[in-house]
Amino acid sequence: MSLAIETIDLVKTYKHRGGASNTVVDNLNLQVESGEIFGFLGPNGAGKTTTIKMLLGIIGQSSGVANVLGREAGDIEIHKRISYLPEKPYYYEYMSGLELVVFYASLFGIRDNDRCKELLRRVNLANDMNRPLSTYSKGMQQRVGLAQSLINNPELLFLDEPTGGLDPIAHIEIRDLILQFREEGKTVFISSHELSDVERICDRVAIINKGQLVAQGRLTDLLAGGRVEVTAEGVSDAVSQSLRHENRTVSFKDGRLILDAPDSDDLNGMIDALRNGGAQVVSIIPRRKRLEDLFIEAVAEDDTAKGRQRGRMTDGNSDGTVSTEVEEVKTGEGESS
Amino acid sequence: MNAVLSIARTTLGEAIRRRVLLVILLIALLLLVIAPGMNGLTARQSQTVLLSLILGVLQLSSAVIAIVLTVYMIPNEVERRTIYTILSKPVLRWQFLLGKYLGAVSALGLMIMLMTGTMIAVFAAFQGPNVETLASLARVAMMYFVQMCLLAAVAIFFSTFVQPVVNFFLSGGVYLVGTVFGSLFATIAESQQLPQAVRVAAQIVMLIVPNFGQYNVQNSVINSGAQIVGEGIYYTNLAVYGVVYISILLLGAMLVFDRREV
Ligand SMILES: Nc1ncnc2c1ncn2[C@@H]1O[C@H](COP(=O)(O)OP(=O)(O)O)[C@@H](O)[C@H]1O
Ligand SMILES: [Mg+2]
Repeated sequence: MSLAIETIDLVKTYKHRGGASNTVVDNLNLQVESGEIFGFLGPNGAGKTTTIKMLLGIIGQSSGVANVLGREAGDIEIHKRISYLPEKPYYYEYMSGLELVVFYASLFGIRDNDRCKELLRRVNLANDMNRPLSTYSKGMQQRVGLAQSLINNPELLFLDEPTGGLDPIAHIEIRDLILQFREEGKTVFISSHELSDVERICDRVAIINKGQLVAQGRLTDLLAGGRVEVTAEGVSDAVSQSLRHENRTVSFKDGRLILDAPDSDDLNGMIDALRNGGAQVVSIIPRRKRLEDLFIEAVAEDDTAKGRQRGRMTDGNSDGTVSTEVEEVKTGEGESS
Repeated sequence: MNAVLSIARTTLGEAIRRRVLLVILLIALLLLVIAPGMNGLTARQSQTVLLSLILGVLQLSSAVIAIVLTVYMIPNEVERRTIYTILSKPVLRWQFLLGKYLGAVSALGLMIMLMTGTMIAVFAAFQGPNVETLASLARVAMMYFVQMCLLAAVAIFFSTFVQPVVNFFLSGGVYLVGTVFGSLFATIAESQQLPQAVRVAAQIVMLIVPNFGQYNVQNSVINSGAQIVGEGIYYTNLAVYGVVYISILLLGAMLVFDRREV
């Protein structure tokens, strides 16, 4: 598959007055494949918006490479084939939804009111397209933004926090629209910290923290390795001893044994051991790893690693640790419990 | 060009809805309407006073509108992030800036036209419809418009690298130096008594600051005796000077804006 977006050691450093500087995006290496929904995750201030602005050529990078659709970011020809929905957008309030879409269409030299209306219908604004934007709810504003972003039938969409601050219904509407984009073969690059949305729609994700990549990969791979919780009654001490193992935790609650083990473990063996020992298995609950777990693990590990580093060094910036952290995130299944 | 005109149209649409501008405009219109009631002088004197009063109101309010209109234009676009959506389309930065400028100038033209219309109507109502005077009033207003286009270009230029509030005083200052104090600087530049350094400094100021003062042709109307020799050529020169200066300022603004992080 060809790459829709590729960054190589992309860096953005803001220099402040008085010589201090702030590296907001730090040696970022992203690969986004054509036709996928790519989730770009990170806590607030991680550098997501800054990265998107570099990919659009709105701001320049300090160093490194940013390629979009096979060309250098910012190429005006590329702008005909992409679109962008900024975070918390605001539009000219005096305009109606239709006027706004017509305005953005005109920036492409497109004069086609029917197409604009069709796009507004598609985002469920058929009945509101002639009202001024100042009367739109947040969700409607976001939908008109999506309509606007479809005007050039883009191959690649950048959506910065598309569901930020929306109510659950609006979330679902936006999510469904994004899923439709993939059906149409578009590549969608979504920055978000709304993990449930990302988990539902993204094929691959990257997680950044403080400008550095801490994980990147297929969601299914990253979330592989859930855990399973077995609860049993009447377990003898001997049996519970025999079940102890380095990756498992064994605990008791109300006289019941609760065994928490990786789902790669020999589940049948454990149950056999319990039943042969006269115990009664009450429940077996698989606990799939959630994106939230992954996110918190990745970001927390990164933060503690940086904390350790800062304790040791005055400089506090080394790349060696980052790659090992990526390894840890990918392989270290559920070690945090 | 499509994009430039679209941006200009949007900017115009927004500008004529900005509350601050409408308030300034309303105050100006009010002053123009009540101006005739403010003098109790003889007929000959009152015409002179009335003319300088209404032209003064027109010029001052146009200048304030020109500055208020333009200093917030680019910063607002950045703050509301509308600029990002626009620049992520196939729109170059110079096109964006030019569109913004043309929109501002159209709004300015519209507002000056409205004030001029009011002024002419008021004058005609009180002093009788003297076609010649009314025509020269329109001509003076026209020159004010060119002056304000120049002022708007100055403000847009500054807005690419200074904060709006600073810009307000900077552009206002440049305007004052270019109009009111223009002759003062000219006197300093030519005075033989003053040290060389002071004279050179004054010459540099005169060279850099646009000569706004030359657009103040109201004296030819206010004192009917003062005639401009070779009017046609004079006005043409003024227009050419304006266009050249505006082009230089916009070019400078585009260069700065192109390199700036938004
Ligand atoms: N123009 C700027 N100058 C200095 N620092 C900036 C600038 N823009 C963003 N930053 C800083 O960069 C960091 C990342 O910001 P951003 O990319 O907006 O994060 P995110 O979108 O992930 O929440 C923040 O700490 C922010 O303060
Ligand atoms: Mg952001």
